[in-house]
Amino acid sequence: MAMMVLLLLNNAIAYGSHSSSADTTMHTNNWAVLVCTSRFWFNYRHMANTLSLYRTVKRLGIPDERIILMLADDMACNARNKYPAQVFNNENHRLNLYGDNVEVDYRGYEVTVENFLRVLTGRHATAVPRSKRLLSDEGSHILLYMTGHGGDEFLKFQDSEELQSHDLADAVKQMKEKRRFKELLIMVDTCQAATLFNQLQSPGVLAIGSSMKGENSYSHHLDSDVGVSVVDRFTFYTLAFFERLNMYDNASLSSLFTSYDPNALMSTAYYRTDIYQRRLEEVPVTNFFGSVMETIHTDSAYKAIPRKISNRAGISMAVEKSVDHDDRRTSIDSNFQDQISHTKTKDQICPFTRTMNSFLDKVERIEHPDSLVNCGLIAMLPLLIISAWLSS
Amino acid sequence: MPKTKTEAETETETPKMKPRPIVRLGIFLISHSLLVSVVCCTAGVLALLLLPLLAKNTYISENALMPGSASSMISNRDISEANRLANDLSDLNLEPQDTAAMESRRILTKYMSDLGAEVSYHKFHPKPNQFHPLHFFSGPDSTSTVENFSCSAYVVNTVGIIRAPRGDGKEAIVLVTPYKFGKSGLAETLSLSIAYTVFSLLSRVTWLAKDIVWFVADSQYGEYAPVEAWLRDYHTPVFTGLGTLNADTCVKIDDLYVLERKPIAQSKISDGFRRAGTMAAALILKVADRNELLEDTLTIYAEASNGQMPNLDLINAVNYLAVHRQGLRVKVEKFFTLLDSRWLEILGEIFELLGKVARSLNPGWKFGISAADYIEGSATLASSLYYQALGIPTGPHGAFRDFQVDAITLEISPKVSSHNKARHNEFLLRGGRLVEGVIRSINNLLEKFHQSFFLYLLTSPSKFVSVGVYMIAFALLVAPLPLVAASLYAEAYQLDLGVKNTKSTPTATASDALGITFRSWKWLYAAKEVFLIHVWGAAVLLLPYFICQVPNCSPTSSTVIWIFLSMLSLLIFYFIVGSPYTHVSISQPEKKGEWAILKSVTISAVFIGLLLMSVVNFATAEIGALLLVPMCLMAQPLKLDIKAGKLRSFLRAICNLVLAFVAFPPAAYFVVKTIFEGFDSINVGEFWNWMESLWAWNSATYIYMGMVHLPCWVLCLHVLLHSC
Repeated sequence: MAMMVLLLLNNAIAYGSHSSSADTTMHTNNWAVLVCTSRFWFNYRHMANTLSLYRTVKRLGIPDERIILMLADDMACNARNKYPAQVFNNENHRLNLYGDNVEVDYRGYEVTVENFLRVLTGRHATAVPRSKRLLSDEGSHILLYMTGHGGDEFLKFQDSEELQSHDLADAVKQMKEKRRFKELLIMVDTCQAATLFNQLQSPGVLAIGSSMKGENSYSHHLDSDVGVSVVDRFTFYTLAFFERLNMYDNASLSSLFTSYDPNALMSTAYYRTDIYQRRLEEVPVTNFFGSVMETIHTDSAYKAIPRKISNRAGISMAVEKSVDHDDRRTSIDSNFQDQISHTKTKDQICPFTRTMNSFLDKVERIEHPDSLVNCGLIAMLPLLIISAWLSS
Repeated sequence: MPKTKTEAETETETPKMKPRPIVRLGIFLISHSLLVSVVCCTAGVLALLLLPLLAKNTYISENALMPGSASSMISNRDISEANRLANDLSDLNLEPQDTAAMESRRILTKYMSDLGAEVSYHKFHPKPNQFHPLHFFSGPDSTSTVENFSCSAYVVNTVGIIRAPRGDGKEAIVLVTPYKFGKSGLAETLSLSIAYTVFSLLSRVTWLAKDIVWFVADSQYGEYAPVEAWLRDYHTPVFTGLGTLNADTCVKIDDLYVLERKPIAQSKISDGFRRAGTMAAALILKVADRNELLEDTLTIYAEASNGQMPNLDLINAVNYLAVHRQGLRVKVEKFFTLLDSRWLEILGEIFELLGKVARSLNPGWKFGISAADYIEGSATLASSLYYQALGIPTGPHGAFRDFQVDAITLEISPKVSSHNKARHNEFLLRGGRLVEGVIRSINNLLEKFHQSFFLYLLTSPSKFVSVGVYMIAFALLVAPLPLVAASLYAEAYQLDLGVKNTKSTPTATASDALGITFRSWKWLYAAKEVFLIHVWGAAVLLLPYFICQVPNCSPTSSTVIWIFLSMLSLLIFYFIVGSPYTHVSISQPEKKGEWAILKSVTISAVFIGLLLMSVVNFATAEIGALLLVPMCLMAQPLKLDIKAGKLRSFLRAICNLVLAFVAFPPAAYFVVKTIFEGFDSINVGEFWNWMESLWAWNSATYIYMGMVHLPCWVLCLHVLLHSC
């Protein structure tokens, strides 16, 4: 009974602290939502943009199950594609972006404003599979990349709908309230991309767009073999930046942001940092584009670390295991139970006795003593043989 | 509530309510109709002359087209294959025509099916031009029953279809090459080789999203007829099997298939009608016989029936590819005689000067163009206007427009042909690359052409005047018509328009009131006459149907008969219905208003007629307005002018006579012809031929002539000859 009370108290403290300040939460995992919003063959480059970024974040360590890839049209299988089932982002055709290991979560007419907002806010119908959900938590860093055709405070979806800056800001606000992210980087490659961020208010959001209000974003080059432009300038230079990096590089976000040359871009890259708390120089790009997290060194697996953090560790484990929010809750609880029962009494004992105790503990828990004895006897045999051989 | 009451009270206090501003403006304009009409007409003509200045540069409006973004893929292999085909075909020229025709068809089929295309034949029976008054509006008729035909009169077209390997088969691009099987010239063979080069390439590529149809039209009975017949059959599916029906009647045609059956894989060749999807666009490819002096030239023909044009984007794409990718010189038709006309040159220089002055005032104003550009632009604009006004398609592409397919004719003329092999191959390569580029660009389309303009006039291949601009000239020309009609009406009834301050109206006696009501219906007599003259005009339109029945009638005599019969029927009309001047029942002083009312009603009718025509075919309405509006507005009884005896009225009488002469349709035709071609080429029969072509092509201009122009002319003559 007392344990139950403790448990509840523990949870209450943990959650209370989360809601009071998000900064204290630790970065535990990375997600990426990559959206190509435009249809039609002549928008080939938008799909190529998105797929290139998909490849980059995957290379830098975000696993497929944490990437939501939305492609509004299928250029690879378009009849006009000279290279069936392949997508290139460069006219040298060295890299096929549409290989076998591409997992598209939303494709074709599934890419709508509604579905996009559902993904962000996590309000899905029950039948939507886990692979199509953004199962982030309060420790998640999310990269949201969008490309397509945009204008003043809107982004066109599918040539029929629009996502307005208000919609985006509202969705981000909801995400914040539902503690679906710790930090969010919104990267947009459209015309007048900067206007899409005008309404954002939620803390922890960092936004970067390819062009200012009244500016167009241009494509980088035309592939005269395929007959279309294959990549946009902003994305091209972003990719060029990341091609120089590997998972363990420590380049900061500010180095990424300063790498954009307005002359090469033919537009001015804009970034909005006023609602982001950390200094860009201190944030490695892999915080968003990769999946590199700060490691916490502990002496042993179950050392009594401050409760809050232990709780978080539990969550990060739970994400991989659990099926749903509720499941996760129960698994957290069971974790706690475990830890508490094992650590409660042993806090004040010296290291040696602790290991000794744990050894004894293990011995106690062995179920078949006979087999242990048999194993011991068999282990004696080689010893016997070696000693006989040495003595002869 | 109380407020409205007070308002009502104040209204009753002031006996005359002040009319609304728009009414006052209307009354003002009507009362100054003379000035307004002079200003408007001058402005209208001036606006027409200004059009070359106001032309905008064309631009590709449809994003999906992306012309020239893909590099050309035509290889030397395609060209050498095409040359082989051309050699095989020209080897046949020595043989008698019939066997050559059949053999060349066989060769063509073999080449096509070797590329993996589906080949089929389309047979049809050319029908003679005949005037069917009832078929006028029905468009291309689907019930062409073959009555009595001979096998030799059969025309066999060859159709090859490449299916897009990964396309959905719902759309197709059509490439047409007219070819005289059996008696082809060098140029025609050349156009066939260009088409084959492209076709051979397209059979290999992986990027096709639309099927490609190569239609080799058997052009021994003209280029338009086979295309039209094929399109008609393409769009009217017949489920009984045309091929079998015809095969048993024509052994010769049957032979052809027997020939075919033997050598090659049979599944691809069929005598049934083969279709691809709906047509996205069509290109008619021709090589001109004449040679250009300077460089390879591409001439674009776009006018379809009734002045319909293909979407401007198609022309833009072709123009862009030809100029910027293949380095061809692109031309559209123009009146060459206008190029060295003196008055146009002077006008051009004036505009150039004005442009310079404007630029010196404000460097931002850039509307001036050089005099040479102006002359060039006006010559092209005039020809564009004329061919649209005629309403006759300028090539086989017209048949496509009737089915809402955008099509243009590309006529490539090579530089002075040296029989140089390399030069020949280069020409093939250029032509082939142009066609390939256009097809690849259309292949990128997702929808029908719809982004750019359909209503436009070209002033050069890369400049156009859109509907919004050229409507102004027409609107200015016709604007005075209702005003003058209203003012004449008001004058005839001595109506008080509220501008002239007359105080006599309230003191009208009862008898006067009766007279006024009686008189106010008098315009019905004039309306009746106008209506009858229009009925007569319709009758004149139908006369050629009977004249056609007269055997062995030369065009000249037909013209004479037509004019004679028209006049006769006009006289008969007068005898039956009675002259409009017999029922003058009202007192003598009203006589002055008689012709005014007739003129007023005539002008209203012309106004309605021109507006209706401007919807159907703008160019016709524009040219018609240029002729009719001054005549209508000027018309005044000659007797009055002569009685007045002043110089001014004398001049007016002469003006009236000249205008009346010029507006008479045959006279107008011959005047224009003399201006453009000199005096010696005049022949009365030409007018008949010209009109014949109008009705043969179902041009709305023909109806306009009979229903608007001719009645208006007759009515204006009435006014001129009025006995007052």
